[in-house]
Amino acid sequence: MPLRDLPIRRKLMLILLLTSAVVMLLMRASFFTYEYLTFRRETMRQLSTLGEVIAANSTAALAFDNQDDAREILTALKANRHLVAAALYDGSGRLFAGYPASRPSAAFPATPGGDGFHFEQSYLSGFQPVTQREHRLGTLYLQLDTGVVMREWLWGSVQIALVLMAVIVGVAYLLSRSLQKQVSQPILALAETARAISERKNYSVRATKLGADEVGRLTDAFNQMLGEIQVLNRDLERRVLERTAELEAANGELNRSRAVFESIFENLPGLFLVLKPDLTIVTASDAYLKATMTTREKVAGQKLFDIFPDNPAEPDATGSSNLRSSLGRVLETRATDNMAIQKYDIRGPDGVFEERYWSLVNSPLLGVDRQVEYLIHRVEDVTDFVRHKPSADGDPDAMRIKLEQMEAEIFQSSQKVQASNQQLRSANAELESFSYSVSHDLRAPLRHIDGFAGLLGKSDGKQLSEKGRGYLVHISDSAKQMGTLIDDLLVFSRMGRSEMNLGPVDMRQLADETAQTIQRQEAGERKIKWKLGALPVVQGDRPMLRQVFVNLIANAVKYSRPREEAEIEVGLFDEKHEWVVFVRDNGVGFEMQYAQKLFGVFQRLHRAEEFEGTGIGLANVRRIVTRHGGRTWAESVLGSGATFYFSLPKNPGVKT
Amino acid sequence: MLVEDNLNDIDLTLAALEEHHLANEIVVARDGAEALDYLYSRGKFAGRADGPPAVILLDIKMPKVSGLEVLRQMKSDPLLSTLPVVMLTSSREEPDLAASYALGANAYVVKPVDFQQFVDAVRQIGVFWAVVNEPPPRTAIQ
Repeated sequence: MPLRDLPIRRKLMLILLLTSAVVMLLMRASFFTYEYLTFRRETMRQLSTLGEVIAANSTAALAFDNQDDAREILTALKANRHLVAAALYDGSGRLFAGYPASRPSAAFPATPGGDGFHFEQSYLSGFQPVTQREHRLGTLYLQLDTGVVMREWLWGSVQIALVLMAVIVGVAYLLSRSLQKQVSQPILALAETARAISERKNYSVRATKLGADEVGRLTDAFNQMLGEIQVLNRDLERRVLERTAELEAANGELNRSRAVFESIFENLPGLFLVLKPDLTIVTASDAYLKATMTTREKVAGQKLFDIFPDNPAEPDATGSSNLRSSLGRVLETRATDNMAIQKYDIRGPDGVFEERYWSLVNSPLLGVDRQVEYLIHRVEDVTDFVRHKPSADGDPDAMRIKLEQMEAEIFQSSQKVQASNQQLRSANAELESFSYSVSHDLRAPLRHIDGFAGLLGKSDGKQLSEKGRGYLVHISDSAKQMGTLIDDLLVFSRMGRSEMNLGPVDMRQLADETAQTIQRQEAGERKIKWKLGALPVVQGDRPMLRQVFVNLIANAVKYSRPREEAEIEVGLFDEKHEWVVFVRDNGVGFEMQYAQKLFGVFQRLHRAEEFEGTGIGLANVRRIVTRHGGRTWAESVLGSGATFYFSLPKNPGVKT
Repeated sequence: MLVEDNLNDIDLTLAALEEHHLANEIVVARDGAEALDYLYSRGKFAGRADGPPAVILLDIKMPKVSGLEVLRQMKSDPLLSTLPVVMLTSSREEPDLAASYALGANAYVVKPVDFQQFVDAVRQIGVFWAVVNEPPPRTAIQ
């Protein structure tokens, strides 16, 4: 397992152990080096001391050239078992005595070398001068086998090192065991919490904070993150719940509308069959199933011609092949195909075929890609028709005649409709030209009457009697009166004929404007107390509705003329389905028994000398209000004022 | 110039103009065809010496060629289009008004039934068009 994959606990322990082992080894190495150097120095010093002692002891033997003594002295070196060789050279450099005695003289250096000791491989050897009173007698040679000593020393040193190592590693292990917990435990706790959360998806769990160090801060950050996740999670769950509920509702709605549409389709009065382009039956209307003596379960998903085969008893039957080619045409042209009446026998539940005749229409149902998605196969059972009209059955001529008769009838009735339309148009045109003639031709003679009466008065007036001049005035007045009547009648006729331009009309604004105009026309000669209430904005023809107010308010002003101060009120009743506007005055009023006559053309309840007018105003009001779909009526008590009402529907189905 | 088929109307109009001494230079045409003949100096008016009229008072409803047709021909002819034309008619019908202005009539006057008002109207027309108004320069007409 690579180091980076080890658990933190192990990593920490390994680091600690490795660190202490390395430190120990380094220390041990330096210590060892020191010891080694000391050992060498010490060995050299010892050998040097030994050499001095032997040299001192050997002076006599050399001085007296006593080889035996010399050998004896050297033999004493036996005590030192590492001393492998020793030799004495006389003053002339000749080998004088050797140790051990068994060692051949050739094995010793032939002549003494320079004084002093030095290491040579695993041996320490060298030469020590033998002197007596500054007089050099000879030279002592010593050779020490340091290898064994060194090995012993080394072994001891290694042993110590091993023991130390064991102790140190052991202590370090124990220490690290307890210390690493300080570091690893919080991290492990955090990791454990994270694992628990990811496994159980419980974001309400919080990691325990064990200290204020980096891990502690990490824990805090982790907990904060958890809090945010918890909030987000809750939000998400809520949204999911909402969406789910919405989806379920939509799904329910979809299922309901699907069920409704299915039920609508199934209950359609016609005989319908829906096919896929491969002529698999999708569904059929109840009427179709009833007429073909089958059930929806039996046909759904089946091929059309498996369910409705030709009558095997009639080898010449063409029903299925004709239907097949009609459906093929629909698929190819993507257009409806009307088939001639077909004999297509139907197999009953008992397997027996019944004779049937059908009128068939096949239509495509195109998808968004303009490809045929379904085929609608609509049929009509004309069996009874075919059977009960034996004259037509099998007699195409009779059928054609019948058809031609029907076509002729249709043509005739459409001619009649066109004729009456034409009549209506010419009646309208006649009316137009009539009112044009009235406008132009009736007025001209009146103008002439008045004109020549005026001219006569001017030229011969003086020759006429008082009476005659009076007659001239009457002629003039009557002509003028008739001119006014004609003008009013034309306005009235136009009100009934002209096109209505409907739009929102502020009734209060109209009433205000009308009242102001009339007030101006009276030029301050009359005292009028106006009382205008709130009025609605209605849908209507503004100029026409203005005419209504003009007529009603002008009437109110006119018929309250005998009063010192006229009081005119315009107000509203807010009914359920209509607005009722009224114009009330404190004028002379009228007798209620004549209330119905008021709105007729040229109907007057007052003599012209009392109140001028042609009697067309209220007729206009009624005509305009009626064209707006409303009603008009009036109430009064003779001598104490009158109230004129008109209603306008709130939801206008305006008559035009 | 007065274009009018009805004798009574001619009499009354001339009487009204006479009252204000405006009747002496009036040319009367009895229908649209005659009016066009006069304006184009053709037919019985071929080689007439007088210039174009200062104003034409034009009735609408006339036999042969109606007032509106006279107006249409005049206004579509650059030689006559600058002549002021006042429609003087009994008709108050909107289609007549609209057609007249669309064809370029300079004014539209409804003959009032009241003779005194008629006299006033004719006087105002006569004074305005024959006296107050500056007619278009002759070069523009001939």
